Amino acid sequence: MVAGDISKAVRRVDAVSKSEGKTRYVSDYDFADCLWGRLVRSSIPRGIIRAIHLPEMPEGYRFITYKDIPEGGHNWLHMIATDWKCFAENDVRYVGETIGIMVGPDKATVEDLRQKVVIDYEEQVPAVTIDEGLACKGGAFVNGNNIHCSLKLDVGNVDEAFAKADKIVTETIETGFQEHIYLETNGACCIPEGDHFVVYASAQCPFYISRSISPLLNVTPDKVIVRQITTGGAFGGKEHFPDVVCGPLLVAANVMKKGVKMFFDREEDIENSVKRHPSKVVFKTGLDKDGNITAMESTVCYNVGGYLSSSFVVLQRGCFHVTGCYLFPNMRTTGYGVATNTFPSCAFRGFGAPQTLFAVETHLCHIAEMQGIDPLEYKKRYFIKQGDTTSTNGKIVERVMIPEMLEQVMKASDYERKSREYKWGSGKGIGISFYNHGGAFTGNGEQAIIKARTKLHKFADGRVEILCSQTEMGQGFHTILPKIAAHVLEIPIEKVIFEDPDTSRVPDSGPTAASRSTMIVGELVERAARLMKPRYAKEEDFTVETCYEHPEGYPWDQNTFQGYAYLGYGWGVCAVEVEVDPCTAEITTKGIWSSHDAGHLIDERIVHGQVNGGVLQGLGWGSFEVMENRDGHFRQTSMSDYIVPTSMDYPKQGVYFVENPYEWGPFGAKGMGELVFNGSAAAYIDAVSRAIGKRISRIPLPTEEVMGYMLHGTDIKAGIEEVR
Amino acid sequence: MEEVKCYIPKTLKEALEIKAAHDVIPLAGGSDLMVAHKKTIGLVPEFEKPVMIIRNLSELKGISVNDKGECVIGAGCTAAEIAADERCPWHLRQAASRMGAIGLRNSATVAGNIANASPKGDTPGPLYLLDARVRIASLRGEREEKVSDFIVKFREIDLKQDELITQIIVPLSEDDFDYIFWHKVGTRKANAISKITVSQAIRFADDGKTVADYRLSATATGAMTNRSRNVENLLIGKEICDKTIEDVVNGFDAVISPRAMPEFRREATRRMIRRFLSEAARRPQNKVIDTYDDYHVTGQPEPRECRHKKGACHG
Repeated sequence: MVAGDISKAVRRVDAVSKSEGKTRYVSDYDFADCLWGRLVRSSIPRGIIRAIHLPEMPEGYRFITYKDIPEGGHNWLHMIATDWKCFAENDVRYVGETIGIMVGPDKATVEDLRQKVVIDYEEQVPAVTIDEGLACKGGAFVNGNNIHCSLKLDVGNVDEAFAKADKIVTETIETGFQEHIYLETNGACCIPEGDHFVVYASAQCPFYISRSISPLLNVTPDKVIVRQITTGGAFGGKEHFPDVVCGPLLVAANVMKKGVKMFFDREEDIENSVKRHPSKVVFKTGLDKDGNITAMESTVCYNVGGYLSSSFVVLQRGCFHVTGCYLFPNMRTTGYGVATNTFPSCAFRGFGAPQTLFAVETHLCHIAEMQGIDPLEYKKRYFIKQGDTTSTNGKIVERVMIPEMLEQVMKASDYERKSREYKWGSGKGIGISFYNHGGAFTGNGEQAIIKARTKLHKFADGRVEILCSQTEMGQGFHTILPKIAAHVLEIPIEKVIFEDPDTSRVPDSGPTAASRSTMIVGELVERAARLMKPRYAKEEDFTVETCYEHPEGYPWDQNTFQGYAYLGYGWGVCAVEVEVDPCTAEITTKGIWSSHDAGHLIDERIVHGQVNGGVLQGLGWGSFEVMENRDGHFRQTSMSDYIVPTSMDYPKQGVYFVENPYEWGPFGAKGMGELVFNGSAAAYIDAVSRAIGKRISRIPLPTEEVMGYMLHGTDIKAGIEEVR
Repeated sequence: MEEVKCYIPKTLKEALEIKAAHDVIPLAGGSDLMVAHKKTIGLVPEFEKPVMIIRNLSELKGISVNDKGECVIGAGCTAAEIAADERCPWHLRQAASRMGAIGLRNSATVAGNIANASPKGDTPGPLYLLDARVRIASLRGEREEKVSDFIVKFREIDLKQDELITQIIVPLSEDDFDYIFWHKVGTRKANAISKITVSQAIRFADDGKTVADYRLSATATGAMTNRSRNVENLLIGKEICDKTIEDVVNGFDAVISPRAMPEFRREATRRMIRRFLSEAARRPQNKVIDTYDDYHVTGQPEPRECRHKKGACHG
């Protein structure tokens, strides 16, 4: 029986089988009789395909390209936009673009043949960085200006405020690529069965795959059944990217009339998968004579890569979060998604918000330090509150508990004393950041786009099955959702069945993304369980169904991006303390303390795990995780040169929460899976910057860069460049 | 399925016979070779030559001290075995204990680390510092060569086709010095490749001031591990002062030739040399000197006031 407060931790339902190594992932399945597939990809960042020379092909082996898409089929992958092709046709836009798939019965032969395919290119000059993309290096290849997408937001009157400002300062904050490094690499198998196909995949969003790849064969999505296999980590890297893996498999399975399977190695996965968008945010900030902000204009540029796919939505979220946890009197934001010849960027925990949150936090620190003020004292002046206007002219609906969270973190970290005692440049530093994350899809997207549905079925023996499309990828949702149902129905959690989704069996409750699963689908299951409860004892075998309903009175216009972007935000405060080795510039992290508002927690231990992981992943992004792209090629291609932190790099974290139940969430819960990533990098950079006494405006920050700042960096108290 | 031809000798003699008769790649730990030759998952690695597996040869195992007091390490000893054996010199134990991850240390051998001849290898730095030799056997007989001569250049060693490394002999240890220093700046704190590693050791003459011996080696600062007796001689026979420190700093700076991150590698090396020598000149109680006062106490720095003297690190 699940009794008492739902927050009390239970043992995860997958804990034992995963610990014992019994859980099977997609590459653990035999898929006997299936052919092996290996992709042939572009080895150049930009060019025309002149010819493809195939080796002599043994019987039973075939090289599949766009020409094998049947008549009426569309060579596209539907990932919000439909510009990303399944197979390159005449030109290639990035290194790693799929040109074809080599298939056949013996894996070694397939690999051997794949390596012997020779592509004859006419190479063109690539644009790799945001600046090169904007400058249309090598000639524009998207929309005549290399701008994939753009948007503009305006609150108040920035021009008038600038005209009255005492001075206007400008600075640029940059962030780099980040690779997901999920434990399990990408893999899938597609098998023809009668008039349809079955796809087995490591994926976050099974319905996305059906919708995305079925147009390749010009069939309806229900003809491409997707069965998600327990997924070993995703972080957004398996939100849309499995479409890129499964599309070629579907076309190949259709041609060969046999199943085709493909599993990536680690190096293959790192080199040829989506990454977090690199960003460049340029601020122009108006200050009055007392140094107060009167207006902030930000230009947000994200490196989108060769195809738009889902990036406009990422850019939107980035722009909506650029004002962070603050209210500035006048705000203007312009966002650009820049086309470059790099692997298309895509979803990654935070979905565009971490970049702008890092930027605004860092910019505020710099404005404070230039005036000799403790960054915390400065940021406090602008904390947003319930009822305040957001960057999209909506209002903050909920209570904002930043003051309470700040108190927890200050007490645990001894911030006040350390901030006072550790002089700037002393080798020791403490930093602090504030961040939020709008839960679920933006605006009314949950109602207008997703229209999530769930079912709850009761069997005669008393067991209850949850039917929805949510996936377990290590985050704990196979425990969270049954716990909600069991708690409402007052039955043991063991009586609740929740299996990996099969799109032919479950209703579409939307993607497992956007921090929406607990907040939105959890509520649907809670509501279904409440509907079931009065009938549970009386009836034997029945189903109840629930659909998402958006609360009335919170309008959103997706064309103008005006209104209530999010009804429930997760909120966070994070402090990080560091010491710098004066000889080697190595940074030792001495302490990490955070407080989060995730509404009422469904399971304390699972949320705690998310905090530990998210905060560390954010610190990795801010410090060691260097992913360079030189001339279109990623330079870090293995786990020994792409450096993710280990638990040895950081001390035990101080983890705190506040209780702030969310009106429309299950038991008051809100989204938090992305929130916990969003702020640690800014706190870390604040701490390092104070410790070395230099202004830092770019991440990642590996040791050699710290040394560079120590030797040549701008003094932390120096004035910021003035526009006027 | 493709196959790799393997020889698995049971004795060293048998191994040397195979080596004399065939062009084979000896494989002990496999931590470099298996990575270098791997194909996509599920496929057998591809070796251009037959492989001779020597990881279980008992003649290549064991750590001992010979009658000259030198530490003798079997070529098949793993990094984990070296890290745990106090008969091994301190510098080498430090390097072995921070090589790769635990699984790798249980597999990788010191001879393999030498034979790989990578400038980022963890053990050559201490081995150069302590004048270590490799013992090499073939059916023709045995010979010894200094590790620093054996590694000829980047990825190239002085090993004939019929020869095998059997032992590593380290004549010196921390007992021969008054102060010792080893610091690896890795890509992260554990399971890391070296960005730069500096090893140093110093002994004073009976007057307590004149430097009787000083040694300095650096890893990941060029095509090979760097050490220069000429630079060390700038200090030997003299006292430590600002001038002699800067002579060593500038002399060594001219020896190293880092390609990637040159500024960082040069600056960190300079600072580590200054740090060690200026600290040693103070004659502290603790024999181990690190970049930072807190490190050598527990391995994990504790909050404490920084005792750095002006000029020690900041130049």
